[in-house]
Parts: sequence; C-alpha cells; structure tokens
Amino acid sequence: MTIHRVIRKVRRFQGWVGGGAALCLIVGLYLGLIGSPPDYYQGEVVRIMYIHVPLAHTSLLGYLALAVGSAWYLWKRDPLTDNVCHAVAALSAAFTALALATGMIWGKPTWNTWWTWDARLTSYTVMLFILIGYLMLRTVIDDPEQEARYAAVLALIGLVDLPIIHFSVEWWRTLHQPQSISLRGVSISSGLLVPLACMSIGMSLLFSYMLMIRTQQLYLTHLLHAKKGRLLSQFHLSKSDT
Amino acid sequence: MTNFYVRWSGVLIAAVALSAFTYNHYQQNLATWSPSQVKAQTPLSEVRVLGMVQGGTLAGRVETGEAAFKLIESAAALPEHTGIPVRYHGPPPENLRELKTLVVIGKWKASDHTFEAREIGLVTNYGFVAAAYLIGLIPLALFLFTMSRRVGLLYEEIKASALYREEDPREP
Repeated sequence: MTIHRVIRKVRRFQGWVGGGAALCLIVGLYLGLIGSPPDYYQGEVVRIMYIHVPLAHTSLLGYLALAVGSAWYLWKRDPLTDNVCHAVAALSAAFTALALATGMIWGKPTWNTWWTWDARLTSYTVMLFILIGYLMLRTVIDDPEQEARYAAVLALIGLVDLPIIHFSVEWWRTLHQPQSISLRGVSISSGLLVPLACMSIGMSLLFSYMLMIRTQQLYLTHLLHAKKGRLLSQFHLSKSDT
Repeated sequence: MTNFYVRWSGVLIAAVALSAFTYNHYQQNLATWSPSQVKAQTPLSEVRVLGMVQGGTLAGRVETGEAAFKLIESAAALPEHTGIPVRYHGPPPENLRELKTLVVIGKWKASDHTFEAREIGLVTNYGFVAAAYLIGLIPLALFLFTMSRRVGLLYEEIKASALYREEDPREP
C-alpha cells in the first residue's frame, strides 16, 4: 500500500500555496484595514467589503469546482476525485456561511437590517443549504461508491442555483448592490480595487491550501479504513486456512 | 509534528503583530475622547473628541469656516458639567449642525479653556468592521488548524502501520 502520487505531489507543493495565501492576506489586510481610504457614503464600514466579497467569490468558485469535479467523477469514477469533491463541498459550505455572516454584519450599518429576503441573499442561502444537504447525504449512505455517485448527482442538480445567484442582482432590482467588477468593466475606484484584488487572490489561495489539506485528510482516512478492512479480511482468511 | 507547531506559532505571531499594529493605528488615528475626558485630563497633543453640538450654541459663520459651539457628551448629559467650548477654524465644514453628533479634531488650549479645532469629521464606527473580520477569519484559522493536525496524525498512523511500503522515488 502506497500513498497516491497526486497526494504526494500535493504534500510537496502545499507549502508554496499556503505561503502565497498568507502573504496576499497579510498585504490585503493591511491595505484594507489601514492603507485604503474610507468610502464617501459608507465611511469606515466599507472595509467589510474586503472580507465579505472575497469570501463570497471564493465560495462560488468552490461550488463551480465542485460541479466540475462531480461531472469528472461521474465520467471517470476515480475515488480521489470524489475525495476532492467532498473536501471542496465542506470548504465551500464554510466559506458560504462566513460570507453570509460578514454580509449580515455589513447589512446592519448600511441597510439598517441584519437580514432581508433579497434575491441574492435568498439564492445564496439556498446554496448553503444545498451544500449542507450534500454533506448530510454523504453521511447517511453506507456504500462508498453509491455515496459518491449520489453526491455527484446532487451537486450537479444544485448547479442550477449558481447562475441565479450570479444574475440575481440584475434580474431583480432589490437591496443588494450589483457587482462592481464584471465583464463589462470595473466600476470601483483603484484605491478600493487593489486591497479587494489582494484579498480575493489571498482567499482563493487559502481555499486551495485548505482544499489540499482537507483532501489529504479524507484520502488518508479512506486509506486507513481500507487498510483496516484488508487486515481484517487477511485475519479471517488466515483463520479459515488453518 | 515539530514543523507543524513552528509554522502555527508563526501564524499566531503574525496575527498578534497585525492586531497590535491595527490597534496602534486605531489609537492614533481613530480613537476618540469624550468632552469630559478632555476637561479632566487636558491632553497636550492633538486629540479627537466625540460629542454632540449643544442646541442653541452654534455661532459664527459656518460657510466661511469660522464657528464656535459647545460640544456636549450627549443630549441626556448635563451640559454644564460635561461640555467644552470649541472654536473651529479651517475649511468650511459640511456636517456642522446643531444637535449633530460628530468628531472634532484639534488641541485643547488650557490658557483660555477652549478647544481649538482644525477639522470636523463624521463618527467612525469600527465595531462592525472588527466584528466582520474576526468572524470571517477566526473560524477559518481554527478549521485549518484542526485539519492540519488531523492530517499530521493520520500520516503518522499510516507510516506506523504494518502494510505501509516506503515510497519508491523512481515511481512517477
């Protein structure tokens, strides 16, 4: 029994990703909290943007990765891909929950409410519930192959929510502001853009780093389970031999 | 596991340094005094005073940047105990109105018992910002810490196991 070569590669290179994430986040935190000017309308509260938007971006990218990974799993049936999907789902759920929490803290001083049934907030919360459902589904099925298959299908069905989240600010004119950075251009001052970009890159790298760790954890847990199963069957075989 | 703890000590030290730096910045550029504090402690350096413009005390020409008013702690406080007289001289302020809560930046002049203000700013509210950053980052750090430790333990368990074969470096 050896460790998968992808996992060995990941273990060798994860330090670089983690270091890059730490560097980007430290620079981004400095620029966001101290080095950037306060907003004309929102004042200092605008600094919440530098943590809220990167968390939300990263969680959406995570869901996209989960969908791609699930499709890949259904095609190739590679157990390691399934471990990656499982890890992405847990991390994406954590990032989504944190983005919602920071968004609520931002909403109180700017909208004067913690929560409103705005289109984007609602569709984003639906994504959190899809991810929680995905993780729960994975705990209730005994057969690992069946578990992976059902989970991948659920992730692909849940992909419907992603365009709804993305376009919700354009389809329904409600409280949440439209995105400042899109394909049509950037409508945000450079003083605010630099820390935002720094934090976004840092968060994505942090997500990748955590994904590397989480994938190793799931893979090694499965490996140990398999090993225990094999030891057990060897024990039974040797017993039946004698 | 030693490497693991060294790395996480580094993360902890960086977090503490960053928070100390932020706190220092906050104390220097954002922390505010109350009018009664200024009266009691008579600070020599420039300070930021948070208070409300007492109704009926605003005098001078606000449009040209010359104004005098009395700054009190709040509407409920007794003005004669807590208020300080402020003389403002600077660019025409946008937010200076009676009964408005604002931040006055300047120096306390002990000789004529007034506060010489050079700038008038809006109330800063860093509580929400601090809460958002702590709630966003601390769970992530804890999640990463527990995962990393778990992975370290799993590797040790696997290497100690009977079926583990040493990795062949020639294998791709």
